[in-house]
Amino acid sequence: MKKHLIPLLVVGVALLTAAAPAATGRDLTDIGYIDQSAIAALPAYTNVSRQLAAYKAQLDRQYAAAIRNAHTNQQRQQIGAQFGQRFNDEQRTLAGPSFMRAQLAIASVASTRGLSVVVDKRIIIYGGQDITRDVVRLLQGSQSILPLGTAPPPSEVGFVDQSALANSPQVKAASAQMAAYAERERQFYGQQFTRAGSDAAKQQQIAAAYNKAMSDEQNQVLKPVVDHAQAVTAQIAQRKGLLLIIDHADILFGGTDITTDVQNALNK
Amino acid sequence: MLALCALGPTLSGCSRVDVNSPQIRGIAYVRVDDVVRHDPMYSQLSRIDDAIAMVDLAGSGPRVPHSAAQIALEDARIRAEVAAARARTQQIVTAKQREYAAREQAAVAAALAAAGVRNASNVAAAMGHASLQQQGVAVQQAGRDYAAFQQSVVTQSNGAVRGIVQQLQQEANQKLQAKAMQEEQRETNLSLQLSQQDATKRLSIQTKLSMLALDAATRRQLQAQLADMLRRENAVLSAQRAADRREFAAYRATVMAQTNEQMQAQLSRIRTETQATLAARRNEVGAQLRGLAAPASVPHLSPATQAQIRSIAQQFQQQYQSDIEGVLSQYAQTGYALEAQYATLHGADAAASGATAQEVAVLQQRRQTLYNQILDQVEREAQRLAKEKGFRVVFSNVTAAPGGYDMTNDLIHDIESEHE
Repeated sequence: MKKHLIPLLVVGVALLTAAAPAATGRDLTDIGYIDQSAIAALPAYTNVSRQLAAYKAQLDRQYAAAIRNAHTNQQRQQIGAQFGQRFNDEQRTLAGPSFMRAQLAIASVASTRGLSVVVDKRIIIYGGQDITRDVVRLLQGSQSILPLGTAPPPSEVGFVDQSALANSPQVKAASAQMAAYAERERQFYGQQFTRAGSDAAKQQQIAAAYNKAMSDEQNQVLKPVVDHAQAVTAQIAQRKGLLLIIDHADILFGGTDITTDVQNALNK
Repeated sequence: MLALCALGPTLSGCSRVDVNSPQIRGIAYVRVDDVVRHDPMYSQLSRIDDAIAMVDLAGSGPRVPHSAAQIALEDARIRAEVAAARARTQQIVTAKQREYAAREQAAVAAALAAAGVRNASNVAAAMGHASLQQQGVAVQQAGRDYAAFQQSVVTQSNGAVRGIVQQLQQEANQKLQAKAMQEEQRETNLSLQLSQQDATKRLSIQTKLSMLALDAATRRQLQAQLADMLRRENAVLSAQRAADRREFAAYRATVMAQTNEQMQAQLSRIRTETQATLAARRNEVGAQLRGLAAPASVPHLSPATQAQIRSIAQQFQQQYQSDIEGVLSQYAQTGYALEAQYATLHGADAAASGATAQEVAVLQQRRQTLYNQILDQVEREAQRLAKEKGFRVVFSNVTAAPGGYDMTNDLIHDIESEHE
């Protein structure tokens, strides 16, 4: 069974969940959603949050001490990555069991309701089945929740891990170009801003021009890359008979993962 | 008319979507960010974005946070200056040692010659060499001790400076946060009050608008009434926000001025205490050096000549110590100033950038509140449309959509026509 990470709202913790097999032509009334803040508010999850917050506070102090001795951006990045890794490891240790239970509860309710996919409430504007209450009730019980014996039913909703796509050479190059441009423009407009003295109207004009310059550059440098990635994603989705593709962070159960296909196509 | 409808779903009102077609199957999606750009409140959002840029650009002036590369460069410069100052001081001390030794030797040689000692110059040189060696060792040791002491005092002082800067900055941030929340609450209350005032009238208009049998002129008139109502509410809210923004800016200026004043007072106190501690140690070292032994005595000399030589040695030692203390003092000042620069580079500047970050955070909170208001409106409109057209599910911000129905343009059209 293939697994992927799902962040929950409050603690942003990774959760393991199962990906679905390829889709078939089912009707789309089988879409459910969950308000993850309701799950995060349960005592078991607030305890985990508290423990994680305490660990983070401790880590922050160590990070502040370590970063003081970093003299280059590379050193800072290395230290940042090391501490990020330590936090992620602790997060998995502390939150893993609670979130695995949540995943099992979601799968159990989804199966009972005949849902092929469950997503985060924030991406549903209208319709769908709200299964929050059922999942919360199951989680509040003391009984163990058994894993499903079968895979989720096929769905026409697919998902892609956008953070994985962000590591493609094109996106990385565009991001680096954008960062360099941002640094240059900030200095340029910053000097103009200083020269404007206390002239508020002039300062506002400069700020607006700065924002416009950044937006224009984004459209010129980043947008084509994003548009291309979207077009490639849509092509692959169509080939697989999927109607919609959402970000994997919004998928809580089921769905078809096309991340690898998109990555391969983008890296060609 | 039919031809126009065939152009696509962008022409709201006449678009007839087959929601059960194989390519749609009851599912729609909205590109929310695109709709938000067409909302009448978007201009307010842009103004907040400009305000965030203003804070950011203002922070790129004198109190801009240094980049890692800049810090490394400055760091290296300061360290090099400290090392250069130390080497310079050592050179001066050595040169002065030689100069005073030579002068002392000449004076002793003159005294010995006057007392009838043969080879007075050689005897004086031998006496002076022993004295010089003894003094050199003592001065070098004293210098090392003093440098170690200075380093320890300055480190402690920097720690205290950092602590005070952080504490004062935290206090200022708390005050600003409280003020921002107070204004936020006031604006929320006002927004609520305004919408409640018009609630009945708005509901009545919306009910009438939902009637299909309404003629176009009446529909336009009702939509205009709704738009007018919204405009009035927005105008009152905007005025309140502008007033709050001004009040916050004035409050922020006061808080920052008070914080800076407190910071300067505390920093000045620490600096004075540090300098006093260093000066006390310097005097102590000076006194120890002044107490160094006189040059080796020569047994066959008369007591009067020996007394004269001791007097000469004492006189030159005193002059030398006085001179050296000035050099050490100058080094201490230079070292302290450079260490202070170092502390500023790593401590105070970070606090200044923290203030900028705090201000940006307050603005971003406002932006989020406004964005959520716009989003609520967009979602309400999307729900109405979805119901009207018979969709089963509507998603927001999908990554890609080879199928489903894109409701974005219908929503933009509706929102724009509502506020025309």
